[in-house]
Amino acid sequence: MNLGSMFKKTHGSAEKKAHGAGSQKGPKVPEGLLRKCSMCGAAIVAEEVREGYYICPKCGGYFRMGARRRIRMIADEGSFEEWNRDLAGPNPMEFQEYEEKLEEVREKTGLTEAVITGKARIDGTDAVLGVCDGRFLMASMGWAVGEKITRAVERATEERLPVVMIICSGGARMQEGIVSLMQMAKTSAAFKRHSDAGLLYISVLTEPTTGGVTASFAMLGDIILSEPGALIGFAGPRVIEQTIGQKLPKGFQRAEFLLEHGFLDRIVKREEMKVELSRILKLHEKGEWETVKSDRNSGGEYRCDPAQLSAWERVGISRKKDRPVGSDYIRELFTDFAELHGDRNFADDRAIIGGIGRFHGQPVTVIAQAKGKNTKENLDRNFAMPSPEGYRKALRLMKQAEKFQRPILCFVDTPGAFCGMEAEERGQGEAIARNLFEMISLKVPVLSVVIGEGGSGGALALAVADEVWMLENAVYSVLSPEGFASILWKDSSRASEAAEVMKLTAEDLKRQNIVEQVIPEPEEYTEKNLGEVTRIMEEKIGEFLIKYKVMTAEERSERRYERFRRM
Amino acid sequence: MIKKVLIANRGEIAVRIIRACREMGIETVAVYSEADKEALHTQLADEAICIGPAPASESYLSMERILSATIVSGADAIHPGFGFLSENSRFAELCEQCHITFIGPGSDVIARLGNKQEARNTMIAAGVPVIPGSKEPVYDAETGAVQAEAIGYPVIIKAALGGGGKGMRVAETPEEFETGFRTAQKEAQNAFGDGTMYIEHFVRHPRHIEFQILADSQGNVIHLGERDCSIQRNHQKMIEESPSIAISEELRKKMGDAAVRAAKAAGYVNAGTIEFLLEKNGSFYFMEMNTRIQVEHPVTEWVTGMDLIKEQIRIASGEPLSCTQEEIHISGHAIECRINAENPEKGFRPSPGTITDMYLPGGKGIRIDSAVYSGYTIPPYYDSMIAKLIVWAPDREEAIRKMQSALGEIIIEGIDTNVDYQYEILHDPRYLSGELDIEFIEDRERSASCDS
Repeated sequence: MNLGSMFKKTHGSAEKKAHGAGSQKGPKVPEGLLRKCSMCGAAIVAEEVREGYYICPKCGGYFRMGARRRIRMIADEGSFEEWNRDLAGPNPMEFQEYEEKLEEVREKTGLTEAVITGKARIDGTDAVLGVCDGRFLMASMGWAVGEKITRAVERATEERLPVVMIICSGGARMQEGIVSLMQMAKTSAAFKRHSDAGLLYISVLTEPTTGGVTASFAMLGDIILSEPGALIGFAGPRVIEQTIGQKLPKGFQRAEFLLEHGFLDRIVKREEMKVELSRILKLHEKGEWETVKSDRNSGGEYRCDPAQLSAWERVGISRKKDRPVGSDYIRELFTDFAELHGDRNFADDRAIIGGIGRFHGQPVTVIAQAKGKNTKENLDRNFAMPSPEGYRKALRLMKQAEKFQRPILCFVDTPGAFCGMEAEERGQGEAIARNLFEMISLKVPVLSVVIGEGGSGGALALAVADEVWMLENAVYSVLSPEGFASILWKDSSRASEAAEVMKLTAEDLKRQNIVEQVIPEPEEYTEKNLGEVTRIMEEKIGEFLIKYKVMTAEERSERRYERFRRM
Repeated sequence: MIKKVLIANRGEIAVRIIRACREMGIETVAVYSEADKEALHTQLADEAICIGPAPASESYLSMERILSATIVSGADAIHPGFGFLSENSRFAELCEQCHITFIGPGSDVIARLGNKQEARNTMIAAGVPVIPGSKEPVYDAETGAVQAEAIGYPVIIKAALGGGGKGMRVAETPEEFETGFRTAQKEAQNAFGDGTMYIEHFVRHPRHIEFQILADSQGNVIHLGERDCSIQRNHQKMIEESPSIAISEELRKKMGDAAVRAAKAAGYVNAGTIEFLLEKNGSFYFMEMNTRIQVEHPVTEWVTGMDLIKEQIRIASGEPLSCTQEEIHISGHAIECRINAENPEKGFRPSPGTITDMYLPGGKGIRIDSAVYSGYTIPPYYDSMIAKLIVWAPDREEAIRKMQSALGEIIIEGIDTNVDYQYEILHDPRYLSGELDIEFIEDRERSASCDS
């Protein structure tokens, strides 16, 4: 039945027309109650946006927001203590109308300059906090901005506090000429001293971060976070397009692009920023070592059983599709894991997962070669065959661990370093060599565990450690048995034979003192019984940390040197 | 007086409001989503404005669009119905800011009563009984035992971060408490990593009894007696009746007075409902206050002779209540069954689709509030309730027989409905006896699965 206008309607005395602006008492939307989203065009309730995180409830896009609101969003209530509030700069070039312009912006924003600095508590942790305000001449950096940041960082160094900078900027302030250029060096210098004092700097990049600020303190964070979609670059997109005479692709210079290219550690949603900052700050607090006591009987010693499996069978097991992979161990052994991305150079290599986590409460740096659980994941992770940028990311994180005195735990599981044109172009050999060179003298304890395949140099680049352990059915060799057979016998089908002569099983390598420990595995080892292995690992890692923690850095370094010297 | 009302809702309640307005000479504006072009409320109203695509978040929940529609249509008031934006204090506040009459209480009252803790505190201050419980978190069994004694057994031990029955134990005696507390705490520790516990009096086999109140802007507050809504499945009411056979005249006065006190304490204006849990021994406890018209309002209308929607509109226009407490008399017995497009045999799975044929009963003492018609296609996006069947008779026994007869007449073809399921309940000896509590349906389903 179609009802189309079959019903009789009421037509009373009410006026048909809409309430015009003329009627005072009738319904109307007061000025400013509803706004139009600049990104998606939808009508939105302005107050809802202001009370929330300045996010469009319709399209989820981020509005730019002022520094004071940012501080309210990040700092614990009432904890922010502002420094150098009234610091203002001269007009070094006597630039015409600059002072008038400044006055006008000050009037409009209620700010003296484009950055607010001070000390705050973030979820209970003290930190120096600097926040740029884009409403003030696009948060460009002149003398006063550079000076405020420098003073704040110097004071942070003095008081041994971490620094969090929430950044947006158009770059150097043109009206101040060469003086503004020097602020790049001045702020970077202050951050260098802060870093040399072993202190943490987290930079948070927001829309837009460009020019001289990107090319100085913005990119110097120990950890660099960004809001989704933020424009980050040195030259602005318009300038690049004019220079090269081409249109830039979509997404160029956006946060996601930078993450992929290795320059960001993480992209963090605005509403989760405080929680993330707090987590990272707490992972860098000096805490007491918790001793790992196991109330379980791990039953942990591996007893040789030479008759059991052939070497070739073990090669097969080490490559099995349902064998636990790096990410499983990370999940099982560590809490609070914060993955950090990128080599700060070229790319983020997904074949290696790196980050900070807690082992029994104690922060450690974890690096794992990451096989996938299915073909899709394996394609994404390049079958755990790292590229040079993977090794460079690993080294970057190891150096960071050294700075913050965190032990390093590596999980090795790779068929080998990636063989490809791109890998060679970017120096695969150099990258591996660099890791061997640097790892030998790292001042913190380093442990490597071969959990599956230990393929050649690609494995060794994460295994120059104080101790190297292997799972019972893991293998570790100079080359794959297939490769070995084809080089020596020109016949890769003799791989099983090769496996036997290569002495690549955990047992063989233990006998040769190439590895210190062998960790037993259940018969059918999958994610289901992962706990049986990680329980043993957990206890042994605890013992390892206690043993190496009491040594001095020199002792450890000496022992590590000797470990490889004797081979 | 309000001249033109925009109904920010759909389904039978929108139709109910349009009818009330029409009878009062008030013009109506319906809003509808793209999926509701053929809906009865869209067709029935004097004007109809499309406010967006099918998902409620982009239509019936979009405050900006509904406000814009109101301004454009020239309506001076919004009736929010139930569900959707009806208890959204933010929306009520926006209406206030735009000088649109929101037919319901003020935004501040909605906000206050929407906050569980604040509502509880308001009730305690007004001397309305609430479920006794520990004020502070409890960390160990010894402290807990002392508190449990003060609260009165049986008690329920709950994890502060609890959910899904984990970290929850009922204890009848101090001995049970000791072990119950330790197990619950251990469970909580394992499941949520936190052993913070609370202790509350455990209300065993309660009835769900709610009191309808009306309050005008002059400060007059009256109650219209109770509704017994104990027949519910997964906290969804299925059958409601008024009066409740568990309520004596004396208890009605006591609970009604408490309800009026509660509304006064909250500064309440317009129609509202105070929900209580009623224990077998006659103790009752405040649960929450609903700041809107309710699905089951017709049973109250029938035993009191009031029209609650019209009363709401008059109150919102600033007029005083049309009668005093003394003028309210409960007469006869009314029962309501909710008719849903769902399949009880397949876990009450919603059953949208086209109604190919339909016959609904009528006659003396039968009322049907519905939004469907023959040929109507029920969209899959919204609540599955399509009609309410309400009956009235001088007493409960006759009302039940009338309901049995009416349910037996309903024919709805093309979709699955719960009519047969309701028919069975109306013949269940336990329902007939009136020995109801909120676990009625659960008990019934449990014993049904044992039988098979």
